[in-house]
Amino acid sequence: MNPAALDFSILGPALCAGLLVLATHVPMGRQVLARGIVFIDLAIAQIAALGVIAAGVLGWEPQGPAVQVAAVGAALLGAMLLTFTEKRWPEVQEALIGALFVLAACAGILLLANNPHGGEHLRNLLVGQILWVNYGQLLPVALLTAVILPLWFGLGERLGRAGFYMMFAVAVTASVQLVGVYLVFASLIIPALAGRFHPARRQLAVGYGVGVLGYVLGLALSAVFDLPSGAVVVWALATVALTAAAMAKRK
Amino acid sequence: MKTLNRVFAGLLTLLATLPAAAEIRVFACEPEWSALARELGGDRVSVFTATTARQDPHHIEARPSLIARLRQADLLVCTGAELETGWLPMLLRQSGNAGVQPGRPGYFEAANHVRMLEIPARLDRAEGDVHAAGNPHIQTDPRNIGAVATALARRLAEIDPAGADHYQTRQRDFAQRWDAAIKRWEQQAAPLRGVRIVVQHKGFPYLENWLGLRQVATLEPRPGMEPTSGYLVEVLEKLKREPAKMILRAVYNDDRASVWLSERTGIPVVTLPYTVGGSDQAGNLFGLFDDTVRRLLGAMP
Repeated sequence: MNPAALDFSILGPALCAGLLVLATHVPMGRQVLARGIVFIDLAIAQIAALGVIAAGVLGWEPQGPAVQVAAVGAALLGAMLLTFTEKRWPEVQEALIGALFVLAACAGILLLANNPHGGEHLRNLLVGQILWVNYGQLLPVALLTAVILPLWFGLGERLGRAGFYMMFAVAVTASVQLVGVYLVFASLIIPALAGRFHPARRQLAVGYGVGVLGYVLGLALSAVFDLPSGAVVVWALATVALTAAAMAKRK
Repeated sequence: MKTLNRVFAGLLTLLATLPAAAEIRVFACEPEWSALARELGGDRVSVFTATTARQDPHHIEARPSLIARLRQADLLVCTGAELETGWLPMLLRQSGNAGVQPGRPGYFEAANHVRMLEIPARLDRAEGDVHAAGNPHIQTDPRNIGAVATALARRLAEIDPAGADHYQTRQRDFAQRWDAAIKRWEQQAAPLRGVRIVVQHKGFPYLENWLGLRQVATLEPRPGMEPTSGYLVEVLEKLKREPAKMILRAVYNDDRASVWLSERTGIPVVTLPYTVGGSDQAGNLFGLFDDTVRRLLGAMP
């Protein structure tokens, strides 16, 4: 136990990162559940990482905007491919996403066979550490969120299949680097799951509530009990979601 | 109720006075440096260790307490030489503690005070996970620990001038016991001179240099990389020509590669504690080398 760690200046940037991720991922998670493609974020994150590795092999600078261009570019290509496959073979979309995930991961290993430094980038890209976030890193993501959210809610159905995959690819590429792939998966799926137990008009609000409470509780517990923050937040999200689901009126 | 209140008040006072009892707060990146800071500082210092012996110091999970402890620290003691580049720069930035930033007296890198081995002649990404400053695993040679002790005692005195005599006395006492122990270990380890070994990760150049061990092969083709099948065949061929007596791995390394090689060649695997706390016997710096030498000798026929 270390109450000194319960310090807003330590947990504040992490909480802000969590709220930014939730802002886009809770509504997107509802779509992902409705389409039955829950592993899409893993596939997109892996493809973004593959883009970074490919950039490294081509000799691009490992730091700076070039990496982001490579990551987003690869993720968008992956999104285009997934748009096509969903149109062509909708009944096996989930299986194709799974196959794409392992293919991207293994392509990364093959490309890295002669470049171990790329391994660090891959790791950093997939296992972001939410506590290392600073406010400077949050600014671009906040701007991105400010663009995505009005488009998402403004266009609604008119967004279409391609629009959904493109926006999803950009949002996940940004969030994975902030908080890591486990937290992205949890933020996407768990609040949306909890919402499904409630009437349709309340689902989004329940999802946001579960997400915010999960992050606040998880970060506080990780500080008090001195445990790795990301993993504790995932468990806190699940616990809050279970409680919220149990509180829903039986149909 | 009143007694309960009094108990709580007592506990609160205790909590409030505890940190004040120790004067200098040391944040050590690895267990060997926290053990050394305790040897030199005694009860004038309180020490927090960021990693445990069973963790790979290249990568650690971020916990809030790391930031909180570094924020309060008066002195940071780390290996340096890029060993902690995966997490220390972020931690230093998040701590916002100006006193322990690089270049300040509160920032101490052990690697600056020893002669580094394996400094690459040229830096090439193709050579693997190499460190420009040389191999950072300096704690496997006790003579390095002795050199760092001298420098660390001086640094402690700089941070805490009122305790300068205290640190100097303790350092002299430690150096005396340490030099005697090194002589003892060197005598015990004499049969190891010239013995051929295989290492899993290039983590033992200082130990090899100290005891005269001869590394004939590594299980990683380049530092930090998984071996390919062709490379493993090469290692097996080499071991046929130049048989080795043991395969060394640090306790935090994954054991699969060394077990694989041991099963095919019959060469025993020796798991070394690598740092303080890495085995039950390695409870302090003296125990670390007692146990290291004992395990190496135990693998000799």
